[in-house]
Amino acid sequence: MSIEDDEILQGFIEESLEHLADIENDLLAIEEGGADIDVDLVNKVFRAAHSIKGGAGFMGLTVIQNLAHAAENVLGLIRSEKLVPDPDIVNVLLLASDELQQLIEDVENSNDVDITEHVEALNTIYEGGNAPQKPSDQQEEKKEAPAEPEPPAMEAESTPIAEEQEPPKAVAEPAAESTPEPVVEQTPEPTPEPAPTTTAAPAAVSSPDVKPAAKKPAKKAKSSTHKTDTSIRVTVSLLDQLMNLAGELVLSRNQLLQTITSGDVRNAEAVGQRIDLVTSELQEAIMLTRMQPIGNVFNKFPRVVRDLSKKLSKQMDLTIVGKDVELDKTIIESINDPLTHLVRNSVDHGVESPDERARKGKNPKGLIVLKAYHAAGQVVIEISDDGKGLDGNILAETAINKGLITPEQAKAMSDKERINLILLPGFSTAKKVTDVSGRGVGMDVVKTNLDQLGGSIEIESEIGKGSTISIKLPLTLAIIPCQIVMTGGERYAIPQVNLEELLRIPAAKVKERVERVGNAEVVRLRGNLLPLIRLSDVLDIPRTYYDPTSDEVNPDRRRVVADRRSKSSPLSAGQAPEERSKEQAETPTCKREDKDRRQSPASALNIVVVSTGSMKYGLIVDRLQDSEEIVIKPLGRHLQQCKGYAGATIMGDGRIALILDVSNLSRMAGLTSLDGTERANELAEAAKDAIIKAKDKQALLTFSSSPNEQFAVPLNQVERVEKIKHSDIEEVGGRRVMQYRGGSLPLLAIDEVAMVQPLADQDDLLVIVFNLAGKDIGLLAIGPIDAIEIAADIDDVTLKQTGIMGSAIINGHTTMLVDIFEIVQTINPEWFADHAISETVAEEGEAPTILIVEDSNFFRNQVRGYMEEAGFNVLEGEDGVEALQVLEDHLDEITMVVTDIEMPNMNGFEMTEKIRRDSRFAHLPVIALTTLAGDEDVAKGKAVGIDEYHIKLDKERLMECVHRYVKEAETV
Amino acid sequence: METQTNQDKNILELATFYIGDALCGMDILKVQEINKLMEMTKVPQAPDYVDGILNLRGQIVTIVDLGKKLGLGETDLGDDPRNIIVNAPGEHIGLLVRRISDVVMADPDRIESAPANMSGIQGTFFTGVYKTENKLIGILNVEEVLKIEKESHRHGRAGNFDN
Repeated sequence: MSIEDDEILQGFIEESLEHLADIENDLLAIEEGGADIDVDLVNKVFRAAHSIKGGAGFMGLTVIQNLAHAAENVLGLIRSEKLVPDPDIVNVLLLASDELQQLIEDVENSNDVDITEHVEALNTIYEGGNAPQKPSDQQEEKKEAPAEPEPPAMEAESTPIAEEQEPPKAVAEPAAESTPEPVVEQTPEPTPEPAPTTTAAPAAVSSPDVKPAAKKPAKKAKSSTHKTDTSIRVTVSLLDQLMNLAGELVLSRNQLLQTITSGDVRNAEAVGQRIDLVTSELQEAIMLTRMQPIGNVFNKFPRVVRDLSKKLSKQMDLTIVGKDVELDKTIIESINDPLTHLVRNSVDHGVESPDERARKGKNPKGLIVLKAYHAAGQVVIEISDDGKGLDGNILAETAINKGLITPEQAKAMSDKERINLILLPGFSTAKKVTDVSGRGVGMDVVKTNLDQLGGSIEIESEIGKGSTISIKLPLTLAIIPCQIVMTGGERYAIPQVNLEELLRIPAAKVKERVERVGNAEVVRLRGNLLPLIRLSDVLDIPRTYYDPTSDEVNPDRRRVVADRRSKSSPLSAGQAPEERSKEQAETPTCKREDKDRRQSPASALNIVVVSTGSMKYGLIVDRLQDSEEIVIKPLGRHLQQCKGYAGATIMGDGRIALILDVSNLSRMAGLTSLDGTERANELAEAAKDAIIKAKDKQALLTFSSSPNEQFAVPLNQVERVEKIKHSDIEEVGGRRVMQYRGGSLPLLAIDEVAMVQPLADQDDLLVIVFNLAGKDIGLLAIGPIDAIEIAADIDDVTLKQTGIMGSAIINGHTTMLVDIFEIVQTINPEWFADHAISETVAEEGEAPTILIVEDSNFFRNQVRGYMEEAGFNVLEGEDGVEALQVLEDHLDEITMVVTDIEMPNMNGFEMTEKIRRDSRFAHLPVIALTTLAGDEDVAKGKAVGIDEYHIKLDKERLMECVHRYVKEAETV
Repeated sequence: METQTNQDKNILELATFYIGDALCGMDILKVQEINKLMEMTKVPQAPDYVDGILNLRGQIVTIVDLGKKLGLGETDLGDDPRNIIVNAPGEHIGLLVRRISDVVMADPDRIESAPANMSGIQGTFFTGVYKTENKLIGILNVEEVLKIEKESHRHGRAGNFDN
């Protein structure tokens, strides 16, 4: 083969592959059209084949040329309507295009590949105007025949079909004659006798014994795809834009150099800003070049579905929505396998056979919908089918049988949780392993793949109606927001996707909150127990602690977090306390250093609560720093064995920080999901009393706006708290905004709405970030801030006004509770426009009546206010007993019950149980409102029949949920 | 004339440096640069011969302590140490040496095969030995040095469990 110019060859390969990608879908469309030929489409395919043929001829790639030529011939017949494209013919064409693809991907060796089979099949169609009678045979072995020094295809072509169809045994006879050992007939090695076996060769090779070998070339082709797929098409306008920005950057650099030489500090600021701007624009533009439409992946699925459904003799349609949604190249590449698996799953296990569907009264043709869209800065991909759906109970049973969960756990699970059990490692429900989707790769592999991409997966399913699998993916992987932490004097980055919250336990509270169970440490967090891992221990580096007073990192010698010297050891009696650590035994006289750390801030614990799909744990670090957007850089070969890192990044000061892989860290610490949950369960059982006592408390974040007034907001509404300088606030278009995670964050102050003292005029400010109606909003405040839990004793009369829902005494101060919804609604009413629409819908008919059950006046009035504002009628009950009475009295009116859990006389659980048992009320949706939604509470609630859990004062979610249920009730 | 060009073609320029007390050299064409950046970030759990990682103009470079790698113990950082940055497949790797020395023009004909052991370093790490009037230069086999050692990996792990 003479390859004269690499560039031309590369161009040919790319162009041909593009053509082939189109050909596949076009062929499928042609098949669907049947006799009703779309000439334009056929023309397109014909031209594509023709271009490949032409290019290959020019490059001296004879094999490709021959195959393309044969395909072109057949297409020519179809074009001139001399041939009706039935599925068999299309099959042959598709196989030929597959072969072409393989050839082109491995272009250097393409001339040595034997394509007789394909050419034969195509020529038979061309000559006879008919497909070979056994296309299914060929479908099974998409193989490359070994290079055999046999006469060219021409001879084979002329062989009549009958001969070709002869069973391999018969054909192999001549071979057996020529060589005494019959084994030879199956060895794909070149036989010295060419003549008698010419026609036999393809048949013999395609005998089942050779199949495993046939798989190899396929794999090889796959790896070579990666090799060739290194160029990417970018629009010229984007390139121009990049060039422009690069020019800008050069100009800015010149400016900067000038400024540095002249030492003009004021100008430096301007230049700095300019560079900041240009680089962020450049970053965005470069990102765009990496973005590719998801259609690149989606486009292969029509074929996958077609081939599979044919094989399984099912009928189905595939609808693809949102091909244009763009994702980063690397994500597109790595999403391919998980998606294929999911689609195959849907075809194989999801959609039933036509008979079964007909029996169930469904359309015998199944429907699979593949959908991609943007939502909340992420891309969502949905794969839904209208098949038999997943049975949560069967899944739970399997999980129990496999020892993945305990029966008690299963009982406490919601339907959705049960369905999502399928994602657990070691789970596979397929009764028999089929070669379609049960190939030993379970859903857990899909999940792991997605985890690696920073994505998540969720399954919803209804028995008999179908299932929907939603995958959420980040837009890009190259730049990610991370939390920076410090341990042992080095910085580490934890990806924000894994971050749940940051927890600082003050020195005085450590003993109370951190416990030791077996050899594991756990922390009590809002009624749940969270396993703890020390970063320094997992990484096997000396423990240190950070002393904020001296700004030093000192070695820490305590072995156990919970070690406080209150249980004084006999050794330390009467003298300065000593460390109760291992070192103590070795140097028993070692006195404790000058200062006692027991109550100093240095003893506070900094915990990063991270979640990795299946589990949540706390990582103890020395120090918490800012969150930053970082660029991921891979680690070198020598460090690949360090499983704890996902990569490294370069910080602003030029030093490197390692990026932690939290799921591998948990594995390294021996914290598996099951152990974690089991241990937590044990602990939860033991600590239940304490937890119950802590119930019905409201977690609040307190802050100030002016020196004399204290405010509070429910902690669960707060997304983040940021420290900013007054100069960070920009006044644009009559509104205050600040830059926040690459966007503009609208800022507001309480005094804009409520009659309170104006925001203190000081340099250091706080911004409390909320997320309302899908948007971020910042509330300006000043310190000191604190997170506290108080019993719900809230006065909703004295200080109530717009934006303030009430007041409470916190730590001796009258504290106003801020109603962030009202504030935002007053300033930006349009944000809630969507909700207003659904509200009017509700108002059209008879206004539904909702029963609110709550013992606290404050919360009852609050919720009542929400409901009445939305146009519902409201009935009230102060406890379960009263509520049941109200239910009796107003049997026909009530459409929904919204209840508190902790109530005197009869609590929410008992009441729900009673409601569910009474056939008159059993259909009513019950929504529970709680202050602290502990996981085991939620599970218990689900078990007694509570439909949904919501957090008190989270108006937005509550109302959304109420509307949803009302609508459902109406349609029923 | 002819011999002249012949010599020009074949002459091997060796960048020489000290690993412990041993004078070693490598083909200068394999060296990308030599720097004295010592602000390394430690990587816990890395193989023990990896000293850390370094930011080299936006690229992450793994620094291998040649002293440790070749079994001579940790490189003494007091004696003007340098990183020799070499190209490895897909990345750059820095080789930390105690001190660098001159560039030596070596006549390939005078390169002898390496002994089994040279100044306490295994012979497999050398492609050959070059003798000058007063010195002996071991020519480092960079590929061998950069090979990932499964042994030391297991070693490091076992060490972890001891704790």
